Amino acid sequence: MAINKNSNAYIIIYTVVMVVIVGTLLAFLATSLKDKQAANVLNEKKVSIMKAFGSAEENFDDVVTMGYITDGKFAEVDKADAVAVDAVFAKLADLKGLVAAENDFPIFKYEKDGAVKYVAPMAGKGLWGDIWGYVSLNVVEGKVQISGIVMDHAGETPGLGAEIATETWQKKFEGKAIYDAEGKFAVRMQKGGAQNEHQVDAITGGTKTCDGVNAMLASSIGKYEAFLASLTTAVEAAPAEADESAEEVANVEPTKVEEE
Amino acid sequence: MKLSKNFTNPLAANNPVIVQILGICSALAVTVKLEPALVMGLSVTFVTAFSNLVMSLLRNGVPSRIRIIVQLVVIATLVIVVDQFLRAFMYDVSKQLSVYVGLIITNCIVMGRVEAFALANKPWDSFVDGIANGLGYAFILVLVAFFRELFGSGTLFGFDVIARFGYENNSLMLFPPMALIIIGCIIWVHRTINKDLQEK
Repeated sequence: MAINKNSNAYIIIYTVVMVVIVGTLLAFLATSLKDKQAANVLNEKKVSIMKAFGSAEENFDDVVTMGYITDGKFAEVDKADAVAVDAVFAKLADLKGLVAAENDFPIFKYEKDGAVKYVAPMAGKGLWGDIWGYVSLNVVEGKVQISGIVMDHAGETPGLGAEIATETWQKKFEGKAIYDAEGKFAVRMQKGGAQNEHQVDAITGGTKTCDGVNAMLASSIGKYEAFLASLTTAVEAAPAEADESAEEVANVEPTKVEEE
Repeated sequence: MKLSKNFTNPLAANNPVIVQILGICSALAVTVKLEPALVMGLSVTFVTAFSNLVMSLLRNGVPSRIRIIVQLVVIATLVIVVDQFLRAFMYDVSKQLSVYVGLIITNCIVMGRVEAFALANKPWDSFVDGIANGLGYAFILVLVAFFRELFGSGTLFGFDVIARFGYENNSLMLFPPMALIIIGCIIWVHRTINKDLQEK
Protein backbone atom coordinates (compact mmCIF):
# COMPACT_ATOMS: atom_id res chain seq x y z
CA MET A 1 0.00 0.00 0.00
CA ALA A 2 1.50 3.29 -1.05
CA ILE A 3 1.45 6.02 1.56
CA ASN A 4 -0.29 9.21 0.54
CA LYS A 5 2.30 11.80 1.57
CA ASN A 6 -0.15 14.64 1.37
CA SER A 7 -2.80 13.12 3.60
CA ASN A 8 -3.47 14.97 6.84
CA ALA A 9 -2.62 11.94 8.95
CA TYR A 10 0.82 11.57 7.34
CA ILE A 11 1.57 15.27 7.74
CA ILE A 12 0.55 15.32 11.40
CA ILE A 13 2.57 12.23 12.25
CA TYR A 14 5.54 13.57 10.28
CA THR A 15 5.55 16.90 12.12
CA VAL A 16 5.06 15.31 15.54
CA VAL A 17 7.97 12.92 15.02
CA MET A 18 10.15 15.71 13.66
CA VAL A 19 9.43 18.05 16.55
CA VAL A 20 10.09 15.35 19.15
CA ILE A 21 13.44 14.46 17.58
CA VAL A 22 14.56 18.07 17.19
CA GLY A 23 13.32 19.01 20.67
CA THR A 24 15.18 16.14 22.33
CA LEU A 25 18.35 16.92 20.44
CA LEU A 26 18.35 20.61 21.34
CA ALA A 27 17.38 20.01 24.96
CA PHE A 28 20.25 17.58 25.29
CA LEU A 29 22.69 20.00 23.69
CA ALA A 30 21.57 22.97 25.79
CA THR A 31 21.85 21.03 29.03
CA SER A 32 25.26 19.61 28.26
CA LEU A 33 26.75 23.00 27.31
CA LYS A 34 25.04 25.02 30.04
CA ASP A 35 27.82 24.82 32.64
CA LYS A 36 30.47 25.83 30.14
CA GLN A 37 28.41 28.82 28.98
CA ALA A 38 27.69 29.97 32.53
CA ALA A 39 31.40 29.71 33.32
CA ASN A 40 32.16 31.94 30.32
CA VAL A 41 29.72 34.60 31.47
CA LEU A 42 31.08 34.53 35.01
CA ASN A 43 34.67 34.65 33.81
CA GLU A 44 33.91 37.66 31.63
CA LYS A 45 32.61 39.54 34.67
CA LYS A 46 35.68 38.64 36.69
CA VAL A 47 37.99 39.77 33.89
CA SER A 48 36.12 43.09 33.59
CA ILE A 49 36.40 43.67 37.33
CA MET A 50 40.12 42.89 37.30
CA LYS A 51 40.54 45.28 34.38
CA ALA A 52 38.81 48.01 36.37
CA PHE A 53 41.22 47.34 39.23
CA GLY A 54 43.99 47.82 36.72
CA SER A 55 45.53 44.41 37.27
CA ALA A 56 44.15 42.21 34.53
CA GLU A 57 47.06 39.80 34.89
CA GLU A 58 46.09 38.76 38.41
CA ASN A 59 43.59 36.08 39.25
CA PHE A 60 40.28 37.40 40.55
CA ASP A 61 39.83 34.63 43.08
CA ASP A 62 43.23 35.27 44.67
CA VAL A 63 43.05 38.97 45.39
CA VAL A 64 39.42 40.06 45.44
CA THR A 65 36.89 39.79 48.22
CA MET A 66 33.29 40.68 47.63
CA GLY A 67 30.37 41.85 49.63
CA TYR A 68 27.48 44.26 49.89
CA ILE A 69 27.13 47.85 50.92
CA THR A 70 24.22 47.92 53.32
CA ASP A 71 23.33 51.24 54.95
CA GLY A 72 26.72 52.61 54.00
CA LYS A 73 28.69 49.74 55.50
CA PHE A 74 30.71 47.02 53.83
CA ALA A 75 29.48 43.54 54.70
CA GLU A 76 31.83 40.91 53.39
CA VAL A 77 30.62 37.69 51.83
CA ASP A 78 32.53 34.55 52.72
CA LYS A 79 34.40 33.48 49.59
CA ALA A 80 34.13 29.83 50.56
CA ASP A 81 30.35 30.09 50.54
CA ALA A 82 29.59 29.28 46.91
CA VAL A 83 25.88 30.06 47.23
CA ALA A 84 26.52 33.54 48.62
CA VAL A 85 29.18 34.23 45.97
CA ASP A 86 26.79 33.16 43.24
CA ALA A 87 24.20 35.51 44.72
CA VAL A 88 26.57 38.47 44.34
CA PHE A 89 27.23 37.65 40.69
CA ALA A 90 23.55 37.00 40.10
CA LYS A 91 22.99 40.63 41.09
CA LEU A 92 25.47 41.71 38.43
CA ALA A 93 23.47 39.85 35.82
CA ASP A 94 20.68 42.37 36.30
CA LEU A 95 22.54 45.68 36.33
CA LYS A 96 19.42 47.73 35.77
CA GLY A 97 17.66 46.19 38.75
CA LEU A 98 20.82 46.79 40.70
CA VAL A 99 20.93 50.50 40.03
CA ALA A 100 17.22 50.79 40.84
CA ALA A 101 17.68 48.97 44.17
CA GLU A 102 17.55 50.82 47.49
CA ASN A 103 20.13 48.85 49.45
CA ASP A 104 22.54 45.89 49.38
CA PHE A 105 24.73 47.05 46.52
CA PRO A 106 27.40 44.55 45.56
CA ILE A 107 30.99 45.72 45.80
CA PHE A 108 34.38 44.16 45.17
CA LYS A 109 37.40 44.86 47.30
CA TYR A 110 40.96 44.50 46.09
CA GLU A 111 43.62 44.35 48.72
CA LYS A 112 47.31 43.87 48.12
CA ASP A 113 50.40 45.20 49.89
CA GLY A 114 48.26 47.57 51.91
CA ALA A 115 46.58 49.09 48.86
CA VAL A 116 42.80 48.94 48.93
CA LYS A 117 40.51 49.60 45.97
CA TYR A 118 36.83 49.04 45.54
CA VAL A 119 34.96 48.21 42.35
CA ALA A 120 31.32 49.13 41.91
CA PRO A 121 29.14 48.07 38.99
CA MET A 122 27.46 50.74 36.85
CA ALA A 123 24.55 50.72 34.43
CA GLY A 124 22.86 53.38 32.35
CA LYS A 125 21.59 54.36 28.96
CA GLY A 126 23.62 55.67 26.02
CA LEU A 127 22.27 57.06 22.79
CA TRP A 128 21.11 53.83 21.15
CA GLY A 129 20.97 51.37 24.00
CA ASP A 130 22.30 50.24 27.33
CA ILE A 131 25.74 51.10 28.61
CA TRP A 132 27.35 49.49 31.62
CA GLY A 133 30.69 49.03 33.30
CA TYR A 134 32.73 48.82 36.46
CA VAL A 135 34.42 51.68 38.23
CA SER A 136 37.31 51.20 40.60
CA LEU A 137 37.59 53.73 43.44
CA ASN A 138 40.27 54.39 46.01
CA VAL A 139 41.12 57.11 48.47
CA VAL A 140 44.16 59.28 47.81
CA GLU A 141 45.00 62.22 50.10
CA GLY A 142 41.57 62.04 51.66
CA LYS A 143 39.77 62.23 48.35
CA VAL A 144 37.82 59.47 46.68
CA GLN A 145 39.10 59.11 43.17
CA ILE A 146 38.65 56.85 40.19
CA SER A 147 41.56 54.46 39.88
CA GLY A 148 40.23 52.69 36.84
CA ILE A 149 37.11 52.24 34.77
CA VAL A 150 35.83 49.81 32.18
CA MET A 151 32.75 50.50 30.12
CA ASP A 152 30.89 48.65 27.45
CA HIS A 153 27.82 49.32 25.36
CA ALA A 154 25.13 47.52 23.43
CA GLY A 155 25.16 49.59 20.25
CA GLU A 156 26.71 53.05 20.39
CA THR A 157 27.91 54.57 17.13
CA PRO A 158 31.25 53.07 16.04
CA GLY A 159 34.04 55.63 16.10
CA LEU A 160 31.94 58.09 18.11
CA GLY A 161 29.96 57.01 21.18
CA ALA A 162 31.45 53.53 21.00
CA GLU A 163 34.81 55.07 21.92
CA ILE A 164 33.77 54.83 25.58
CA ALA A 165 34.62 51.14 25.36
CA THR A 166 38.21 51.88 24.32
CA GLU A 167 41.18 52.06 26.64
CA THR A 168 42.10 55.51 25.33
CA TRP A 169 38.99 57.12 26.81
CA GLN A 170 38.82 54.95 29.88
CA LYS A 171 42.38 55.95 30.79
CA LYS A 172 41.31 59.59 30.92
CA PHE A 173 39.17 58.85 33.99
CA GLU A 174 42.08 57.62 36.05
CA GLY A 175 42.98 59.78 39.02
CA LYS A 176 39.90 62.00 38.80
CA ALA A 177 38.58 62.94 42.23
CA ILE A 178 34.86 62.32 42.16
CA TYR A 179 33.74 65.01 44.63
CA ASP A 180 34.63 68.70 44.43
CA ALA A 181 35.61 70.91 47.38
CA GLU A 182 31.96 71.36 48.40
CA GLY A 183 31.42 67.62 48.35
CA LYS A 184 29.33 67.70 45.19
CA PHE A 185 29.58 64.92 42.64
CA ALA A 186 31.86 66.44 40.00
CA VAL A 187 33.20 63.76 37.68
CA ARG A 188 31.78 64.15 34.20
CA MET A 189 32.65 64.09 30.52
CA GLN A 190 32.74 67.74 29.55
CA LYS A 191 31.94 68.99 26.08
CA GLY A 192 34.68 71.27 24.83
CA GLY A 193 37.38 69.69 26.96
CA ALA A 194 38.02 69.24 30.66
CA GLN A 195 37.64 72.53 32.56
CA ASN A 196 38.88 71.33 35.95
CA GLU A 197 40.53 68.40 37.68
CA HIS A 198 37.27 66.48 37.95
CA GLN A 199 36.34 66.56 34.31
CA VAL A 200 37.20 64.35 31.38
CA ASP A 201 37.14 65.39 27.72
CA ALA A 202 33.89 64.42 26.07
CA ILE A 203 33.92 62.57 22.76
CA THR A 204 33.35 64.87 19.82
CA GLY A 205 30.27 63.64 18.01
CA GLY A 206 29.36 61.39 20.92
CA THR A 207 27.69 63.96 23.13
CA LYS A 208 24.56 61.93 23.83
CA THR A 209 26.61 58.90 24.80
CA CYS A 210 28.74 61.09 27.07
CA ASP A 211 25.59 62.46 28.69
CA GLY A 212 24.58 58.86 29.30
CA VAL A 213 27.96 58.12 30.86
CA ASN A 214 27.62 61.18 33.12
CA ALA A 215 24.18 60.05 34.27
CA MET A 216 25.46 56.52 34.78
CA LEU A 217 28.43 57.67 36.87
CA ALA A 218 26.27 59.93 39.02
CA SER A 219 23.48 57.44 39.65
CA SER A 220 25.64 54.35 40.08
CA ILE A 221 28.39 55.85 42.23
CA GLY A 222 25.66 57.78 44.08
CA LYS A 223 24.44 54.48 45.48
CA TYR A 224 27.73 54.10 47.30
CA GLU A 225 27.91 57.67 48.55
CA ALA A 226 27.47 56.95 52.26
CA PHE A 227 30.08 54.24 52.11
CA LEU A 228 32.56 56.44 50.24
CA ALA A 229 31.98 59.24 52.72
CA SER A 230 32.81 56.85 55.55
CA LEU A 231 36.10 56.04 53.81
CA THR A 232 37.22 59.67 53.71
CA THR A 233 35.94 60.71 57.15
CA ALA A 234 37.76 57.76 58.61
CA VAL A 235 40.96 59.19 57.22
CA GLU A 236 40.24 62.64 58.62
CA ALA A 237 39.49 61.14 62.03
CA ALA A 238 42.97 59.72 62.19
CA PRO A 239 45.20 62.80 62.52
CA ALA A 240 48.07 60.77 63.92
CA GLU A 241 48.58 59.25 60.54
CA ALA A 242 48.12 62.48 58.64
CA ASP A 243 51.84 63.11 58.29
CA GLU A 244 52.55 59.76 56.79
CA SER A 245 52.75 59.25 53.10
CA ALA A 246 49.60 59.84 51.14
CA GLU A 247 49.66 56.29 49.94
CA GLU A 248 49.33 54.89 53.44
CA VAL A 249 46.78 57.39 54.62
CA ALA A 250 44.70 56.53 51.65
CA ASN A 251 44.62 52.93 52.55
CA VAL A 252 43.49 53.10 56.14
CA GLU A 253 40.53 50.85 56.49
CA PRO A 254 37.43 52.51 57.89
CA THR A 255 36.59 49.66 60.25
CA LYS A 256 40.05 49.71 61.76
CA VAL A 257 39.79 53.39 62.55
CA GLU A 258 36.42 52.99 64.14
CA GLU A 259 37.85 50.46 66.52
CA GLU A 260 40.44 52.96 67.65
CA MET B 1 26.81 17.67 -12.90
CA LYS B 2 30.43 16.96 -12.18
CA LEU B 3 31.36 17.09 -8.53
CA SER B 4 34.39 19.32 -8.98
CA LYS B 5 32.42 21.86 -10.96
CA ASN B 6 29.67 21.55 -8.39
CA PHE B 7 32.24 22.63 -5.84
CA THR B 8 34.13 25.39 -7.68
CA ASN B 9 31.13 27.08 -9.29
CA PRO B 10 29.72 28.74 -6.14
CA LEU B 11 33.20 29.90 -5.14
CA ALA B 12 33.68 32.18 -8.13
CA ALA B 13 31.54 32.16 -11.27
CA ASN B 14 28.27 31.70 -9.45
CA ASN B 15 29.15 33.12 -6.04
CA PRO B 16 26.02 33.46 -3.90
CA VAL B 17 26.92 36.91 -2.56
CA ILE B 18 28.35 38.75 -5.55
CA VAL B 19 26.41 37.06 -8.37
CA GLN B 20 23.11 36.09 -6.79
CA ILE B 21 23.31 39.01 -4.29
CA LEU B 22 22.13 36.84 -1.39
CA GLY B 23 23.11 37.14 2.26
CA ILE B 24 24.01 40.82 1.93
CA CYS B 25 22.52 41.79 5.31
CA SER B 26 25.00 39.85 7.43
CA ALA B 27 27.81 40.67 5.00
CA LEU B 28 27.33 44.31 5.97
CA ALA B 29 26.98 43.68 9.68
CA VAL B 30 29.77 41.32 10.68
CA THR B 31 32.61 42.48 8.46
CA VAL B 32 34.08 45.18 10.69
CA LYS B 33 36.77 42.77 11.87
CA LEU B 34 38.28 39.65 10.30
CA GLU B 35 37.81 37.24 13.17
CA PRO B 36 34.01 37.48 13.50
CA ALA B 37 33.70 37.52 9.69
CA LEU B 38 35.65 34.29 9.44
CA VAL B 39 33.68 32.61 12.22
CA MET B 40 30.42 33.80 10.65
CA GLY B 41 31.48 32.43 7.27
CA LEU B 42 32.36 29.05 8.75
CA SER B 43 29.12 28.97 10.74
CA VAL B 44 27.09 29.58 7.59
CA THR B 45 29.15 26.91 5.79
CA PHE B 46 28.28 24.43 8.53
CA VAL B 47 24.59 25.29 8.30
CA THR B 48 24.37 25.20 4.48
CA ALA B 49 26.30 21.93 4.33
CA PHE B 50 24.26 20.07 6.90
CA SER B 51 20.87 21.53 6.00
CA ASN B 52 21.53 20.44 2.43
CA LEU B 53 22.59 16.99 3.61
CA VAL B 54 19.63 16.48 5.93
CA MET B 55 17.05 17.80 3.46
CA SER B 56 18.53 15.69 0.71
CA LEU B 57 18.18 12.60 2.90
CA LEU B 58 14.61 13.55 3.77
CA ARG B 59 13.64 14.67 0.25
CA ASN B 60 11.60 11.58 -0.62
CA GLY B 61 9.64 11.53 2.62
CA VAL B 62 8.81 15.21 3.14
CA PRO B 63 5.17 16.05 2.45
CA SER B 64 5.36 18.76 -0.19
CA ARG B 65 2.66 20.82 1.53
CA ILE B 66 4.82 21.42 4.62
CA ARG B 67 8.14 21.34 2.79
CA ILE B 68 9.14 24.89 3.71
CA ILE B 69 8.28 24.39 7.38
CA VAL B 70 10.39 21.24 7.55
CA GLN B 71 13.28 23.13 5.94
CA LEU B 72 12.95 25.91 8.48
CA VAL B 73 12.94 23.49 11.39
CA VAL B 74 16.07 21.77 10.11
CA ILE B 75 17.88 25.06 9.45
CA ALA B 76 16.80 26.59 12.76
CA THR B 77 18.01 23.52 14.63
CA LEU B 78 21.42 23.70 13.00
CA VAL B 79 21.67 27.42 13.73
CA ILE B 80 20.88 26.86 17.40
CA VAL B 81 23.56 24.16 17.50
CA VAL B 82 26.09 26.65 16.09
CA ASP B 83 24.96 29.37 18.48
CA GLN B 84 25.21 27.13 21.54
CA PHE B 85 28.67 25.92 20.56
CA LEU B 86 29.95 29.43 19.95
CA ARG B 87 28.67 30.52 23.34
CA ALA B 88 30.39 27.63 25.02
CA PHE B 89 33.70 27.61 23.18
CA MET B 90 34.17 30.98 21.47
CA TYR B 91 32.43 33.32 23.86
CA ASP B 92 34.13 36.54 22.73
CA VAL B 93 33.34 35.97 19.07
CA SER B 94 29.78 34.97 19.84
CA LYS B 95 29.36 38.28 21.64
CA GLN B 96 30.66 40.21 18.66
CA LEU B 97 28.37 38.34 16.29
CA SER B 98 25.45 38.82 18.70
CA VAL B 99 22.14 38.42 16.89
CA TYR B 100 23.67 37.66 13.51
CA VAL B 101 24.28 34.02 14.39
CA GLY B 102 20.56 33.60 15.02
CA LEU B 103 19.84 35.45 11.81
CA ILE B 104 21.63 32.78 9.75
CA ILE B 105 18.15 31.21 9.72
CA THR B 106 16.97 34.03 7.48
CA ASN B 107 20.04 33.95 5.25
CA CYS B 108 18.67 33.41 1.76
CA ILE B 109 21.66 31.31 0.72
CA VAL B 110 20.76 28.54 3.16
CA MET B 111 17.14 28.14 2.17
CA GLY B 112 17.92 28.93 -1.46
CA ARG B 113 20.32 26.01 -1.74
CA VAL B 114 17.96 23.64 0.05
CA GLU B 115 15.10 24.53 -2.29
CA ALA B 116 17.11 24.77 -5.47
CA PHE B 117 19.56 21.93 -4.99
CA ALA B 118 19.14 19.57 -2.05
CA LEU B 119 15.53 18.61 -2.80
CA ALA B 120 16.50 17.37 -6.26
CA ASN B 121 19.94 15.87 -5.68
CA LYS B 122 21.66 13.03 -3.87
CA PRO B 123 22.99 13.59 -0.30
CA TRP B 124 26.70 13.70 -1.12
CA ASP B 125 26.26 16.15 -4.03
CA SER B 126 24.03 18.30 -1.82
CA PHE B 127 26.57 18.28 1.00
CA VAL B 128 29.35 19.43 -1.35
CA ASP B 129 27.06 22.09 -2.82
CA GLY B 130 26.32 23.35 0.71
CA ILE B 131 29.99 23.55 1.64
CA ALA B 132 30.85 25.32 -1.63
CA ASN B 133 28.13 27.91 -1.26
CA GLY B 134 29.00 28.50 2.39
CA LEU B 135 32.66 28.95 1.49
CA GLY B 136 31.72 31.28 -1.37
CA TYR B 137 29.87 33.40 1.17
CA ALA B 138 32.72 33.16 3.69
CA PHE B 139 35.26 34.20 1.07
CA ILE B 140 33.42 37.44 0.29
CA LEU B 141 32.92 38.17 3.99
CA VAL B 142 36.60 37.72 4.74
CA LEU B 143 37.57 39.82 1.72
CA VAL B 144 35.31 42.69 2.80
CA ALA B 145 36.45 42.38 6.43
CA PHE B 146 40.08 42.45 5.29
CA PHE B 147 39.67 45.90 3.74
CA ARG B 148 37.44 47.22 6.50
CA GLU B 149 39.68 46.11 9.35
CA LEU B 150 42.88 47.15 7.58
CA PHE B 151 41.75 50.68 6.76
CA GLY B 152 39.24 51.13 9.59
CA SER B 153 41.37 49.94 12.50
CA GLY B 154 44.82 49.57 10.94
CA THR B 155 44.95 45.94 12.07
CA LEU B 156 44.45 42.42 10.71
CA PHE B 157 43.07 39.77 13.09
CA GLY B 158 43.76 42.32 15.82
CA PHE B 159 47.47 42.59 14.97
CA ASP B 160 48.79 46.05 14.29
CA VAL B 161 49.70 46.23 10.61
CA ILE B 162 49.73 49.76 9.26
CA ALA B 163 48.82 51.83 12.32
CA ARG B 164 52.49 51.78 13.38
CA PHE B 165 53.43 53.66 10.22
CA GLY B 166 51.38 56.61 11.35
CA TYR B 167 48.22 55.53 9.57
CA GLU B 168 45.23 57.50 10.76
CA ASN B 169 42.23 55.16 11.15
CA ASN B 170 39.39 55.90 8.75
CA SER B 171 36.27 55.33 10.83
CA LEU B 172 34.10 55.63 7.72
CA MET B 173 35.31 52.10 6.93
CA LEU B 174 33.63 50.87 10.11
CA PHE B 175 30.16 51.99 9.02
CA PRO B 176 27.88 49.52 7.18
CA PRO B 177 27.56 51.63 3.97
CA MET B 178 31.28 51.14 3.37
CA ALA B 179 30.74 47.36 3.30
CA LEU B 180 28.15 47.87 0.58
CA ILE B 181 30.59 49.98 -1.42
CA ILE B 182 33.33 47.37 -1.04
CA ILE B 183 30.97 44.61 -2.14
CA GLY B 184 30.06 46.81 -5.10
CA CYS B 185 33.72 47.13 -6.02
CA ILE B 186 34.19 43.35 -5.71
CA ILE B 187 31.20 42.80 -8.02
CA TRP B 188 32.70 45.31 -10.47
CA VAL B 189 36.03 43.49 -10.57
CA HIS B 190 34.30 40.11 -10.77
CA ARG B 191 32.14 41.15 -13.73
CA THR B 192 35.10 42.66 -15.52
CA ILE B 193 36.81 39.28 -15.34
CA ASN B 194 33.68 37.20 -16.07
CA LYS B 195 32.35 39.00 -19.14
CA ASP B 196 29.40 36.62 -19.55
CA LEU B 197 27.87 38.05 -16.37
CA GLN B 198 27.65 41.57 -17.79
CA GLU B 199 24.13 42.67 -18.67
CA LYS B 200 23.79 44.00 -22.19
